Amino acid sequence: MGKTAELLPGTLDMLILKAVSLKPLHGYGVLQRIRQISGDALEIPQGSLYPALYRLEHQELIAAEWGVSENNRRAKYYTLTVAGRRRLREETAGWNRLASAIAAALNTTPEGV
Amino acid sequence: MLKRFRSVFRVLKSRSEFERGMTEELRFHIAQYTDDLVRSGMPPQEAARRARIEFGSLNNVQEECREARGLNPFDELIRQLRHAARLLRKTPRFTVTALATVAVCLGANLTIFAVVDSILLRPLPFPEAGRLVTVFNTYPKAGVDRDGSSVANYYERRGRIPAFAGVAMCSYGTAVLGEAGSSEREQIARVSPEFFSTLGAGPVMGRSFTDEETSFQNDKVVILTDAYWRQHFNADPQVIGRQLRVDGLRNTVAGVLPPGFRFLSSEARLYFPFSSRPEDRGSGQRHSGGNSKHMIARLKPGATLAQAQAQIDAQNATLEADDPEAKMMADAGFRSVVSPLHADHVRTIRPALLWMQAGAFALLLIGAVNLTNLLLIRASGRVKETAVRQALGASRLHVVSEVVVETTLLTLAGGLLGLAAGAGGIRLLSVLGADRLPLGSHIAFDARLACVAVLGAVVMGLALAVPIAWFNLRGRLASGIQSETRGGTPSRAAQSLRHGFIVAQIALATVLLSGAGLLGLSLERAMAVSPGFRPDHVLTAQISVPWNRYPDWPARLAFNERLLKDLSRQPGVSAAGAVNNVPLSGNSGKSAATVKGHVRQPGESPRGHYSYGVDGDYFAAMGFSLREGRFLAADDSRRSSRVCVVDEDFARYYWPHSSALGQHLFEGGEPTTDAQSFTVAGVVGAVKQAGLTDQTAQGAVYYPYALSGNDRLFIVVRTSLRPESLGLALQELVRQIDPELPVNDLRSMDTRIADSLVEQRSPALLAGIFSLIALLLIAVGTYGVLSYAVTQRRREIGVRMALGARPEQIRGQFLALALRLLVAGEILGIVGAWLTGRAMRTLLFQVPPLHVATLATAAGIVGVVSLVACLLPSHRAARMSPMEALADL
Repeated sequence: MGKTAELLPGTLDMLILKAVSLKPLHGYGVLQRIRQISGDALEIPQGSLYPALYRLEHQELIAAEWGVSENNRRAKYYTLTVAGRRRLREETAGWNRLASAIAAALNTTPEGV
Repeated sequence: MLKRFRSVFRVLKSRSEFERGMTEELRFHIAQYTDDLVRSGMPPQEAARRARIEFGSLNNVQEECREARGLNPFDELIRQLRHAARLLRKTPRFTVTALATVAVCLGANLTIFAVVDSILLRPLPFPEAGRLVTVFNTYPKAGVDRDGSSVANYYERRGRIPAFAGVAMCSYGTAVLGEAGSSEREQIARVSPEFFSTLGAGPVMGRSFTDEETSFQNDKVVILTDAYWRQHFNADPQVIGRQLRVDGLRNTVAGVLPPGFRFLSSEARLYFPFSSRPEDRGSGQRHSGGNSKHMIARLKPGATLAQAQAQIDAQNATLEADDPEAKMMADAGFRSVVSPLHADHVRTIRPALLWMQAGAFALLLIGAVNLTNLLLIRASGRVKETAVRQALGASRLHVVSEVVVETTLLTLAGGLLGLAAGAGGIRLLSVLGADRLPLGSHIAFDARLACVAVLGAVVMGLALAVPIAWFNLRGRLASGIQSETRGGTPSRAAQSLRHGFIVAQIALATVLLSGAGLLGLSLERAMAVSPGFRPDHVLTAQISVPWNRYPDWPARLAFNERLLKDLSRQPGVSAAGAVNNVPLSGNSGKSAATVKGHVRQPGESPRGHYSYGVDGDYFAAMGFSLREGRFLAADDSRRSSRVCVVDEDFARYYWPHSSALGQHLFEGGEPTTDAQSFTVAGVVGAVKQAGLTDQTAQGAVYYPYALSGNDRLFIVVRTSLRPESLGLALQELVRQIDPELPVNDLRSMDTRIADSLVEQRSPALLAGIFSLIALLLIAVGTYGVLSYAVTQRRREIGVRMALGARPEQIRGQFLALALRLLVAGEILGIVGAWLTGRAMRTLLFQVPPLHVATLATAAGIVGVVSLVACLLPSHRAARMSPMEALADL
């Protein structure tokens, strides 16, 4: 599996929203896209992807529609809804705040105290 | 929250599609991954295996997806429903009994509730109907509890009672519509100008009446109901101003009412102005309201009934100051009463309806208790299974929800059957004459009722679940696993619960049966009351003779004379007469009569007496008995002789020690000149006037027809044939004299008497039906519990029999148990029946609230039914062979 990072709890939903926000994707596509945009650093356990997708669809953050895949098979494509876009913006902002706070905290040197 | 529901609902709507889609989506994923692996150089078989392994268990993922979609509770519910349905199918006898119990009990309640709802609960169909009131006069000390407000009252109160936003009058009648030859008789109402504005619903086309239209010169205008407008004017939008012949005179259409407009129970299809003569409006006519005039009013927003009453009282007091009759009216206890319109209109049937609902509810309780017992027995049979499942980790919530699902499924299915039963019940009620009750034609089986049915079924299901869930959860698991199996003893708590329910059931059934008995006995006693005349073989009919074509009394008398003479020539007719009101018509009004030389003692109030105008051989036709003197004859009427006949109550009151013959009396409250007096020519037997259950002997005076001042006309014919067979002949004879006169209300006197008892008969009959069902239910209930007791104790029985107990002892043991329950139930039942009897006194007629024979019969019947229901299981216990009983040790 190479050098992959453990997924932090609660971040999967955010990553799915991000992946879907770029382009409508089917489930397998979401998996590949996350791997791609994370520079192969993040590996999603395949089994937990679909419950997360169904949960997001249930919350009406993403919408599903049947379409045809690149190799001509019927596949379910997910797109971001308006509510999903708003949620992604909030989560991104929240994550950035958290990340920079943690980074600042971890970068503190004895002199800085 | 709403969003989530919407999302769940969307999925539930096409559940199979959801499942198919999910499978397809996951398969697609695995296929794609396999393809990718193959592309990276893996052999296809190995790739497929890897893809499946890395994806994990398809089932688990699917389950998690369903959960994520919020479907789990629904799946669980469906699973439990299937489970419950399967269990119910496995025990068809129990299921059918339970469904029938729920259906009958809910059906009975729905039927009665439909009536209670449409008559008592639903507001009248007018805006803010709660502010509508009626005002009537009462003279209690004169024996006149209720007299309509007079025209004078109306003109005095109009605009002068600050608490009223509007005051209006109305009276009902009939009119002949259309041209000669094609005339039709219609129900009409006469209403004052502000009638519609007071109700808050008026013509949607055209206008209401004006003040100018309340005089007899200008009142030839009419407002049509929507139905009449559609039927007779083809819904012509230009109808305003068109002409319509009413009683032979041209009337102009002034307005059309909205669809469905209906004032209380009135069947009126046309509305005319409530016109009066100026002299009727004067203070001299203040107390001549009569039975046919009704005053309604609307309270101003914020004004209370008490304020209105106080203002009316104050006005009456002021007006009495210069009223010559004030003293007499005060002696009669005169008051004007303001009463809520709706409640006042249904006051006579309210107690009976509420008692019927109570009876139906008692039936429901019996049914519910019965069902609880059957369910408890069922739960006892599954106690081991329940305990094992709890031991294996079934949550308490799960155990409870399973019970709730099962009972609610039963009651809902039963409730649907109950809806059908209720629809049938409402049919039955209309056969019994429910639509003749006040507002009775409003009784409807509609969505509201269906909602009540479903709600009732759900509540019943939840209520039934409580004891069963308690039973299932109670106690320690280990003892649960052991109890009620070999080596275990029956659970004491469950047993006493079952027995307690049997006691309750027997008590309720006893109360219901004795209540039904009291009502039945009252009905029987009311029917046995002699009306005072011979009602058999008498045909009666009403003819309305319009004043414009028979403008004076001689003309009207000539019509009577010709018709009566023609009638008496018919085969089988022995006497024919006319009267302006038949007894028991429900319209008997009382008025004052003054006896010459009678001085009222201090404290003695003036009395209202029934007064009639009679023509022809009325007394012989109706079958009155003559006590003294002679009947009035056709001659008295034709010559308008100033003679009269009084009844024995009247004679006894005024001349207790001497003969009434030759005495003089005056019509009205004050003696006038001797020339106006009537000489008593005869005394007849007293008859029941307002109803068979009349208690007071108010006295009656019979005047020659033309002198009574009341222009209504009933024809009364005595025939040796079946009275109804004369109906056609009567109509034909009337047609020969005047083709424009419609004959209606053709009924034999026997039918009138039967109809007058509708308010007694229906409750008695319904209570009887309820009692029969209750008996059936207690039979089923006791049988079920006793049989279970026998099955449960078969080991004990086997051991005892093996040790030499005789069958009689075994049988005796179970009968003794049944007897104990019976005695306890009946003691409670008798106390309940006594209390109920006291509370329903107003419905009883000549029956004391505690009628020992009825109570004993009720208790006896309940006893016999439940003992018979016990005999079979007891007998089975006694016949049990010890080998068989011990076999499963």
